[in-house]
Amino acid sequence: MSNLDLAQSGALGDSRLAGRRGAAEVWTVANELPTFFAVVAAIGLAVYLLSNQFFYLNLLTMALLFGGLAVSWNIIGGFGGQFSIAHSVFFAIGAYTAGNLYKHFGVSPWIAILPAMLLSAAVAAIVSWPVFRLRGPFFAIATMALTEVAIAFAMHWKAVTGGASGLTIPYRAGLENMIFQQRWAYAALFLGYLAVTLLTSIVILRSRLGYYLQAVRDNDKAAEASGIPIMWTKLKGMAISAALTGIGGVFFMMYVRIVEPAGLLSLFDVGVKIALIALIGGIGTIYGPLLGALILVPLDYWLRAFMGSAVPGGNLIVLGLILVLGSLFMKKGVAGALRQVYRAWSRQQ
Amino acid sequence: MDQFFNVVALGMLLGGTYALVSVGLNLIFGVIRIVNFSQGEFLMLGMYGAYLGYSTMGLDPYAGAFIVVPALTLLGMVVYWLVMRPLQNEPMMQVFASFGLLLLIQNVVLAITGGVGMSMNTPFSQVTLTIAGVQFSATRLIILLAALVAAGGLGLFLAKTNFGQAIRAVAQDRMAAQLMGINVERTFMWSFGIGTGLAGLAGVLLTPIYTLSPQIGGNFVMAAFAVVVLGGLGSVLGALVGGFIVGLTEAFAGYYIDPELKHAVIFIVFIAVLLIKPSGLFGQAGAEEVGLREQS
Amino acid sequence: MSAIQLGVEGVTKRFGGLTAVNDVSFALGQGDILSLIGPNGAGKTTLFNLLTGQLAATAGKVFFDGADITHYRPNQRARLGLGRTFQISQTLTSLSVLENAMIGAFLHHPRIADAADKAYAALERVGLASRAKEEAGHLTLGERRRLEVARALGLEPRLLLLDEVMAGLNQTELARIVDVVVALNASGQTIIVIEHNLKVVRTFSKRVLVLDRGKMIADGGADSVLQDPVVVEAYVGKKKQ
Repeated sequence: MSNLDLAQSGALGDSRLAGRRGAAEVWTVANELPTFFAVVAAIGLAVYLLSNQFFYLNLLTMALLFGGLAVSWNIIGGFGGQFSIAHSVFFAIGAYTAGNLYKHFGVSPWIAILPAMLLSAAVAAIVSWPVFRLRGPFFAIATMALTEVAIAFAMHWKAVTGGASGLTIPYRAGLENMIFQQRWAYAALFLGYLAVTLLTSIVILRSRLGYYLQAVRDNDKAAEASGIPIMWTKLKGMAISAALTGIGGVFFMMYVRIVEPAGLLSLFDVGVKIALIALIGGIGTIYGPLLGALILVPLDYWLRAFMGSAVPGGNLIVLGLILVLGSLFMKKGVAGALRQVYRAWSRQQ
Repeated sequence: MDQFFNVVALGMLLGGTYALVSVGLNLIFGVIRIVNFSQGEFLMLGMYGAYLGYSTMGLDPYAGAFIVVPALTLLGMVVYWLVMRPLQNEPMMQVFASFGLLLLIQNVVLAITGGVGMSMNTPFSQVTLTIAGVQFSATRLIILLAALVAAGGLGLFLAKTNFGQAIRAVAQDRMAAQLMGINVERTFMWSFGIGTGLAGLAGVLLTPIYTLSPQIGGNFVMAAFAVVVLGGLGSVLGALVGGFIVGLTEAFAGYYIDPELKHAVIFIVFIAVLLIKPSGLFGQAGAEEVGLREQS
Repeated sequence: MSAIQLGVEGVTKRFGGLTAVNDVSFALGQGDILSLIGPNGAGKTTLFNLLTGQLAATAGKVFFDGADITHYRPNQRARLGLGRTFQISQTLTSLSVLENAMIGAFLHHPRIADAADKAYAALERVGLASRAKEEAGHLTLGERRRLEVARALGLEPRLLLLDEVMAGLNQTELARIVDVVVALNASGQTIIVIEHNLKVVRTFSKRVLVLDRGKMIADGGADSVLQDPVVVEAYVGKKKQ
């Protein structure tokens, strides 16, 4: 987008360049691309190196999925400051849309991505609209309620979700079915998902919508007086965030091929975990949520394996502690801490 | 027609339960505006506290309240001081932290008890009163009564005592209250403590009815938030009336629609209130608009 | 007076039993500058909020360029051309100085490079261009006030409302911001200023409007109004007690 801007300003002639002092001072999408490609390439290399190590490959695959989900969450939760724990709902909508279209109508999951995005965005907008009219913490409460309602509906609506026993789809390997024999193909798939969410996040942050979301988060009074339609801005951010989360659900459905409401809509294993990952990594930054996933997903696995068997709920005790301590002492997450260290270091130079 | 009245009675008794659970939350969320998702866990602790008194000392659960409620008030004050106070001006981090507390408390209890369901009885457990063909269980009636007493007591406390007035002053305008010499942090600490103490009271009174489990708090917390919003933030009367409305709604939805969908119905009530009358039934108009930022 | 830009007719705001603004009417022409003065609690900021839409009027009407904007939201009024600052600076602390100014400039320049250019130009006008890349949270009080002006200027407002942008500043900062206001008005910008410092008011404002307990008690040339006994009693007299 910014490349286009630069090209056009050039086309308009040099007379305007004299006034282009500000453009040189802001960070644009073009500035972000090198880092983005480097990050994606590095993870791609990791996938390649681990392609025969199934244990680590699966762990990485889940980290990439949750990384993509947390990056999506961050668009409304981080940039927009609207704390949602209901992203599991959009995740589930994506999974059920893809699963049902594939199972009953033979629709390729690749095509199901579009209705999954639209449906997630629509539900997000309908639920958010009444609460975004209000200030204060109503949004967080409404998202918690939404999760409960979604579980009740999922249990009740057996034709779509299979009820408590879950929705299963048959194994038919093939690119068009998004079902692969090789495990590394899934890692590549989720890397692609992560890349899409990261790129969307970058484009938003470096555009008017991103600045408007941050203005609304920092100070809605100043934002409104600056001509920003607060409601629209939040709704746009929420819809985009939910749509991206829905894509994650589509991919997840084809990866596990069986989903049940209790797991898919779990408040802690999905809804809160997405937010927690963003918090640990660094809310409101581009790569913080990814960093959080790379830390928390293996940690969670390890805690489950070693703590969970020794003490029932032991892993969740540790996660709860991390959540409390993180919100008290590491509000900017690992990314924020790293940035502080970097600043201190560069000041010394 | 008998069915109908039985459902009404069930709804009223359930409403009393929700009202009692909501009175404490009303103080924490409605008055001092902290979104405490771990409120249900304090209720759960109240239940286990009562059980502990019952199993170790043979204490009747109702008598156990005299130990459990002060203990939970104290715990709430400690939690406020250590966790909520440092996050005063960061509502989003408070939400995170209260979720962390929820996970922590729930799973510590799970680790200790091993997740075994427990239940206990009081002399009232089996008693039911039949009035005009409609049945009332004594334990539910006690809760209804307790809800009325707790709401009335809290209302009087907020309206008549100096300290209650200080709480309301701080809730309205933190800065002005500070200038008037009110110790804001201490006021908040006590409010939070009283709020968790009331949750503990609700927990104690619920022990004869529900089987204890570490996750039981989740059954009430969402309904309690709906009640506080429905009744109007900070309105004690609102919490009472809101409790009955939610209780009746749930009873009717459970009986006439589908028990599985009763949560959905509560959520629809919640959203409908925010759409039609965001200040709630008894809230001051505009109260819902008081952003947390403006208080800081 | 040139073409009328802002028309205020019988605007009233009640908060419960308190009437903060009581039946105020005035009109302002294109390119004019008006100072709004009055003792603390006179209703000046409330009147501002009624003009820019942060508060809804209990009674009365507000016209802008002939259109009735009484029921418009603040963002719609900004779009029409009302730019304002706040008495307590509303700095967006997680953004840089330039980005703060860009929040205003985005209104008419959706593309990021264009908004940045306009924002930079606005920063130059208030003398903050050299600080463009710094975090806005690091600015001093005076600098934050000027940043607010820059953000409002980024809206390319047809009417600029400045709420006590000079309060609490040191002499240098004060002189600077007065220069900014004078220069803006000289370039044809319509401005309303809330100001406490009467000396400062005289330096740039020909017309002064005085509020006392919500009522408009005087409206006229600076010299005559400031010597009006009613004004002196309401404002200056009380201050000396």
